Amino acid sequence: MTLEIKDLYVSIEDNLILKGLNLKVNGGETHAIMGPNGTGKSTLAQICMGHPSYKIESGDILLDGESIVEKTVDERSRMGLFLAMQNPIEVPGVTNFDFVKAAVQTRMAKDEHLRIGRFILKFEKASQDLKMGQGLAHRFLNQGFSGGEKKRNEILQMKMLNPRFAFLDEIDSGLDVDALKLVGENVTEQKSPNLGLILITHYQRLLDYIVPDFVHIMINGKIVMTGKEELIKHIDQEGYDWVKKDLGIDDEDKKPYSLGTCPSKH
Amino acid sequence: MEIVKYLVNNPNLIAFDNQEIINNAKIFIKNNHLLFRSGKEFFIFLDNYDKYSELNLDIKENQNIKIYLITYQSRNFKIKYNFNVSSNAKLEVFTNFLSKRKTTASIALDFTLGENAYLKLLNALTFKGRIELSSLVNLNGKNAKTEIELLNVGGNDSEYFVNQTVNHNEIATLSDINNWLISTDNSKLKYTVTGKIVKGMEHSKCHQSNKGIMLASDSEIMVEPKLLIDEYDVEASHGAAIGQMDELQLYYLLSRGLSVQEAKSLIITGYTNPFINMINNQEVAKQLTSQISRLIRRKTNNE
Ligand SMILES: Nc1ncnc2c1ncn2[C@@H]1O[C@H](COP(=O)(O)OP(=O)(O)O)[C@@H](O)[C@H]1O
Ligand SMILES: [Mg+2]
Repeated sequence: MTLEIKDLYVSIEDNLILKGLNLKVNGGETHAIMGPNGTGKSTLAQICMGHPSYKIESGDILLDGESIVEKTVDERSRMGLFLAMQNPIEVPGVTNFDFVKAAVQTRMAKDEHLRIGRFILKFEKASQDLKMGQGLAHRFLNQGFSGGEKKRNEILQMKMLNPRFAFLDEIDSGLDVDALKLVGENVTEQKSPNLGLILITHYQRLLDYIVPDFVHIMINGKIVMTGKEELIKHIDQEGYDWVKKDLGIDDEDKKPYSLGTCPSKH
Repeated sequence: MEIVKYLVNNPNLIAFDNQEIINNAKIFIKNNHLLFRSGKEFFIFLDNYDKYSELNLDIKENQNIKIYLITYQSRNFKIKYNFNVSSNAKLEVFTNFLSKRKTTASIALDFTLGENAYLKLLNALTFKGRIELSSLVNLNGKNAKTEIELLNVGGNDSEYFVNQTVNHNEIATLSDINNWLISTDNSKLKYTVTGKIVKGMEHSKCHQSNKGIMLASDSEIMVEPKLLIDEYDVEASHGAAIGQMDELQLYYLLSRGLSVQEAKSLIITGYTNPFINMINNQEVAKQLTSQISRLIRRKTNNE
């Protein structure tokens, strides 16, 4: 079980954002991607999901060795990709319940029937686990939700859909300490050899609750450094400047840096 | 007569067609006047009844009733309904004008509201053919209020010409119009929505909102909102949002595995449900839901 991103170049509206990104995630692994704002972290997650605004210039995305770049968004989802979005979309009029039910049903085999009682119990359990409150099922999808509620709702969906590879894009922003702990527990609980996790964040605090196996630092559209937990502390204390300095990355003129030392894992 | 099945045995039904009037509800009828004496809920069904070109409906003072006006025509027709809503009366009218095949219809709904009267008008439009609908509300009594909700799901390449007018002829009168418009194919929806506050009618409020989704490349939705305000001390607003389906909403649903068809119909259902939920009668709501889903399914399946 692998998700592999190979020398990926991605643009949006003619701006090149990802500039030769490499990443390989195996089942059971948790990877953290850290990096300053605007560096292309969300772009990476969105292009893997198939967001219509982003364009692949070159490179490939492989799921279990098979390229998915020609697959539609819904196909990718049904193949097991999941993205907890940085800014979950509000869909007025569509209830959470109908939405999650449709998402679960669409994954079932043609001759399979949704057992509605069981589904309701599972939904209510997930809703309680994430402290979403009583009326969640009948509230409209993300409409009028607080920032934190939207994030927790993404994790609820993840629990209901059991993805194989999940990107969690700044799932920590907008969460207070208690909510962060709750989300951390709920995600950690789902860790298994059948789930590869990619956590996108620029704070250390999320990684106190969901412990990563690998930490990548992303700057200017590519991963420039890979390490383990010790990297988190370093960044938390000193920011990204030392990385740029160490690697001779110049922010001002975004010239390509010629370092052969960006260790690509695996 | 071919009364739709779910209404046939309804004790609150009055049905008209060429041959006969079936008056289960025992409504008092004199010429073309219907007088509602007691009772809460009535169903008026018209099927090719062309004896009257006008029908007058009188709602007495302090009365509180709901009327479901359902027509099911196979021929072209033209009719005007005059509702006289007396002081302190509360009236809710649901309309659904249906056609068996493509026909032409011209329908006028005129309401006059007395002091403290309240009108809630729910117009469902899934008509097949070409329909001109005009609704005119005269708020003639102080504190008279109206709320108008309209859901138009255009299909079968039909044409809808709708003219809605509310006149604020007294002080402290309120109106709120919400139109939900969907064109599923190359059907045309043309709306003129007018709110008028006459000089001196202070403390009045006049609001309208028009939302539209065009599902096909040749869909047409045109709305002309008009606010004619001749008084300073009032509130008035109009909003319009008409366009294709929101691409980000679609992407979000797709990213959870829903097919394009599933996602689109869920978004449209989200759009039509608030209207359907306002219908008190479950059977009427159910009928409308299935009419709409037939139109939507036709569309989303084609892709
Ligand atoms: N719609 C857009 N049009 C043009 N540029 C965009 C658009 N969306 C994002 N960008 C740019 O792409 C870059 C990467 O953005 P993003 O992937 O969101 O970064 P991060 O998630 O690391 O903060 C930023 O410089 C941003 O300004
Ligand atoms: Mg981001």
